[in-house]
Amino acid sequence: MNVVRAVLIKELKDGLRDRRALLSAFLFPLLAPVFIYGLMTLVIKQNTESEDLVLPVIGQAYAPALMHQFEEAGFTLEVFDGSPEAAVRDKSVELVVQVPEDYQETMANFELTRVLVIHDGSRNDTRTIVRKVRRLITNYNNELAALRLIARGVSPKIMQGVRAKNSDVASDEQRAANLLNFIPIYVLMAAFVCGLGLAIDNTAGERERRSLEPLLINPVTRTALVFGKWLAASALAGAGMIITLGLCLAAMLALPIDELGLNFTLTPGQILMLLLAILPVPMFASSLQLLLGLFAKSFKDAQSYVGILVFIPVVPTLVLQFLPVASSLWMYFVPIFGQSLMIKEILGAETIPLLAYPAAFITTFATSLLVCWLTGRLLNQERVIQS
Amino acid sequence: MIEVSGLKKTFGDVVAIENVSFNAADARVTGLLGHNGAGKSTSLRVLYGLIKPETGYAKIDGIDVSQDRITAQSKLGVLPDGHGLYTRLTAREHLQYFGRLHGLSDDRIEARSEELIRMLDMQGIADRRTEGFSQGERMKVCLARALIHDPRHVVLDEPTNGLDVMTTRKVRELITELRALGLCVLFSSHLMYEVAKLCDDIVIIAEGRVVAVGSPEEIRAAAGVDNLEDAFVLLSEQAVSV
Repeated sequence: MNVVRAVLIKELKDGLRDRRALLSAFLFPLLAPVFIYGLMTLVIKQNTESEDLVLPVIGQAYAPALMHQFEEAGFTLEVFDGSPEAAVRDKSVELVVQVPEDYQETMANFELTRVLVIHDGSRNDTRTIVRKVRRLITNYNNELAALRLIARGVSPKIMQGVRAKNSDVASDEQRAANLLNFIPIYVLMAAFVCGLGLAIDNTAGERERRSLEPLLINPVTRTALVFGKWLAASALAGAGMIITLGLCLAAMLALPIDELGLNFTLTPGQILMLLLAILPVPMFASSLQLLLGLFAKSFKDAQSYVGILVFIPVVPTLVLQFLPVASSLWMYFVPIFGQSLMIKEILGAETIPLLAYPAAFITTFATSLLVCWLTGRLLNQERVIQS
Repeated sequence: MIEVSGLKKTFGDVVAIENVSFNAADARVTGLLGHNGAGKSTSLRVLYGLIKPETGYAKIDGIDVSQDRITAQSKLGVLPDGHGLYTRLTAREHLQYFGRLHGLSDDRIEARSEELIRMLDMQGIADRRTEGFSQGERMKVCLARALIHDPRHVVLDEPTNGLDVMTTRKVRELITELRALGLCVLFSSHLMYEVAKLCDDIVIIAEGRVVAVGSPEEIRAAAGVDNLEDAFVLLSEQAVSV
């Protein structure tokens, strides 16, 4: 136990003095809120309309009643000259509405009149305004049809057949949580990023600077050395992960997410549950990094091996994206998968089976211990000294 | 007392050492002499418990290193082949770390550190981080951390390799001092004159085999030459030609 503590203290002291490595490790969590705030602000902006909507129109004079509808809806009309296709293509306008010259004539003859909406379907940012314009035209059409029926003494109700009624079973929190898919990824990634430098330095680095041999000459078990190194790397990874979680949540609370008609609240209970859920993740990450760090032939080798590990947290979200299955208990037993699920469910204020916490904790923690034991075995082999 | 008997170790197809046997007595300095690649470091690595021999044994005060590595290692102070330092720790922190790994109390470590810092003239560098230390300064830190637990047996792998004259002298003084304290000192070197000057007993190793054992006089007699360096070259060459 004393040996584990001695190694832990030494590795932490050594690691915390490595300012540059520390800075690069903790850049990741510090960038989290910036990233989230920026991305989410963009999403919110695209989904909510701005007050000042400008609508370029060709042939305004042909359809005064329709134009009035647009103005009522908050559009400022603008006369458009030139080629509408070219203007839309070079992005100088978002869209152009073209009223045909024979508008009044076809209208009078009860023929179908086509109002052209020229837009670029590949642009994400204009999708909302295009949808709004089309909806207005459809509404105007319905009104017109109703008026025509009334003029013939027929009730417009005759037009009403079947209509879909929306009933969304997702709670506002759940729908918000859907937008939060990247929070589990980001938080879990932090556990893999923040302790990485220390884990490599303390295995492959130790061998590269030829300090492994003097270390192994000490009368201690190799397993004790591994546990000390593991706890040091875990501590750093854990600190980074908790900072990331805190900053992500703060960014979410600061965002005007209610503008999307969604709801995101956070209770102290939820925060506690989150912490409980993700606690073993840094230990898991660090144990794998130590094993690979010691297994690698050189420092550079170790960096590339361990770098691949960073993408593990992306896997669960990706899998669930393409295989949207209801969560069942076995999933919580899979390290990282379980935690990823739990973060999402806790943020979405869903109820989690009580067994999920011990299930996820025990399997993840036990796997880490197993990996540490394997690392200890590896350290007992002679070839580990020869680089 | 260090006893080494019948050691054999191969790496792949290469036989690094074969049938290496020698003893190192208490209160004496034993020199392990050989060319680069003769098998000195491999023999010592078996002795300090880093690799296991295929045959034979190494015993420290009767304790077989392969059987009970931890007890054997606690009796040894070792300057190994690789002697890297932690650049972000001070010299004193190195001593503290290794002292704790040996299970010493912090008070004991502090007292012993002071003693070693004085012994090795390290007052000026004790509280500096080891980054940028000269070769000699690094060697002093390595020697001090090898001796932190006050071992009765000291094994030094090429302790003067690459050092300047001043530090070399310091290391030689240290070796003599340790012998005066009654310790069993075993060191390796490829420098004949150094071994001749310091050692009570000499073990010459060539091509992974022990080719001569004895006091400087006995070695000279065995080779039939007056000069110890000539004796070393002659005995080594004989081993190669066999």
